[in-house]
Amino acid sequence: MSDKTANRKPTGYWSQVARDGKRMGWWFILPTVLLLLFIVVFPLLMQVYLSLTWWTPLDGIPWYRAYEGFIWFEQYGVLLSDGRFWGAIWRTLFFMLVAVPIEFLLGLGLAYLFIDNFPGRKIFYSILLTPMMVVPAVVGLMFFLLFQGTGPINDNLGLPATFSWLTDVNRAMIAVIIADIWQWTPLMFLILLAGMLGVPPDQLLAAKLLGGSNWQNFFKIILPRIKTVVIIVIVLRSVESFKVFDLIYIMTKGGPGVQTQTISIYLYKLTFGDLEWAYVAAIGLTILFVLSVIAARGLSYMARKRS
Amino acid sequence: MKTLSSALVLKYFFVLLATGVVLYPLIWMTTMAFKPYPEWTTVSGLSWLPLNPTLQNFEFIFYGKAEGLVVSLDRTIAGPLTASLITSIFGTIIAVVFGTLSSYAVVRFGLAQSLPLSVLQLRLFPPLAVMIPVMVMWAFIGAVDTWWGLSLIYGIVTLPFAFWLMKTFFEEVPIEIEDAARVCGCSYWRVFYKIALPIVKPGLATCALFVFILNWSDYLLALLLTQKEWVTLPVYMATLTSAMGGQMYGMKAALGVIAAIPPVVFGLMIQKHLVRGLTFGALKQ
Repeated sequence: MSDKTANRKPTGYWSQVARDGKRMGWWFILPTVLLLLFIVVFPLLMQVYLSLTWWTPLDGIPWYRAYEGFIWFEQYGVLLSDGRFWGAIWRTLFFMLVAVPIEFLLGLGLAYLFIDNFPGRKIFYSILLTPMMVVPAVVGLMFFLLFQGTGPINDNLGLPATFSWLTDVNRAMIAVIIADIWQWTPLMFLILLAGMLGVPPDQLLAAKLLGGSNWQNFFKIILPRIKTVVIIVIVLRSVESFKVFDLIYIMTKGGPGVQTQTISIYLYKLTFGDLEWAYVAAIGLTILFVLSVIAARGLSYMARKRS
Repeated sequence: MKTLSSALVLKYFFVLLATGVVLYPLIWMTTMAFKPYPEWTTVSGLSWLPLNPTLQNFEFIFYGKAEGLVVSLDRTIAGPLTASLITSIFGTIIAVVFGTLSSYAVVRFGLAQSLPLSVLQLRLFPPLAVMIPVMVMWAFIGAVDTWWGLSLIYGIVTLPFAFWLMKTFFEEVPIEIEDAARVCGCSYWRVFYKIALPIVKPGLATCALFVFILNWSDYLLALLLTQKEWVTLPVYMATLTSAMGGQMYGMKAALGVIAAIPPVVFGLMIQKHLVRGLTFGALKQ
């Protein structure tokens, strides 16, 4: 692919031409690089700087004079003993570790049903994909409406209107997880199905003729063949569910109390409720650092596996 | 007459069950948009179809008042709808133009091989963990609550998708065609503009629609970087309650329906390429 051009060693006239091409290539890349510098390098430096102060926009001091409140790593010390922070991290992980596996299993099962053709397959396929295209904020609204005490879920389940979901200490988390599963199982379904359709059909047929049961086919042939796809979807969904905000914020605002307060919602409340921007910067940097380490580890692991 | 095997019956059972689960919330919200106040809850009995269908909810959000309603709205849907459209479109243009140019250079000339991964990193972090400096910067350059400020951040956060999508499309263009044109004396720019670009045109359209959906679906960035003038549809929808004091279920549902339609329509249009887009080109259908 790209190596094809990169590795070709042009000579004489063609090297001149290739040089012209590369020059244009750099012009093509320049805007993107500038944009990345603008949004990564400068903000990152600013975030490091702010996280070492107690600056808040409330003081009326502009950000570049935040050094007046320089306190070294005190914010990071606060973070370590901040119960609300660790609670939010724990709830985010809980949310992720419950929602993603359920989405995966449901998506896997559904995808398996759609390998073979059956009447109406195309229509059902389109319908089942719809949830992931709906704006997440709107999904939040839909489930907010459904989970009202006087909403249809209670009515269908024969529960009284006083049976609350979104304002109940235990059930609020269940409700937001259900909403997340509703929205993102289709993504698992879509991608896993694409992976399964890539398994050569003759292989499945051969296995069937040799007397393999459906279960055996599934576990011995399909699953090993789509291993990469499985890793991709799980990483993809884990990253996204760690970021979750829209859905929960619209359904419960993180409540009742802090029962559904994930890390994004906690940061949002610190940003706009308490205006503790320096502290948010410190938390943000910590998250940035941890996620980068995990990502780097993951990438090197994959590279090692491939070689 | 045994035409339906038990396996097929079982399959239909699960497929229909899943379809029902998918449609349940969608139908409730859509019909809610056409229901008058007394039917918003199940207090007087559950009904999936509006007993007294009305356009009152839509009338209310479009005109700020509706017949038979005491309350009125100081801000109609017009502003947020325009804001959503303008910022999504400009954000899409930024992402697609930058992504197309840079991915072409990476694919064709083998330049900046670390760019793909650096671009991808933009998607790794929770936006709120990195937004403080962006908000400070945006305030500093006067970009908060402007159409270009929001468009710019949209363009940046969706650039990874545009870049990786276009990268896979360019990789599919046979290099022989471009080489042939070059031998015939075409300049590199002409080869890009007259040959590569027309070949990836369908890909370009797919990419634009995909990125538009992502921008249109944003809630958080608009919440952080707009205040009043350029509040987008999802933010407006969420604030409808607090502004009015009461729960305006019907009006919110009407807004939800309006906000949900474009991405669903576009998404179904590019259904074939969704896998590619969502996995950053790692998988194709």
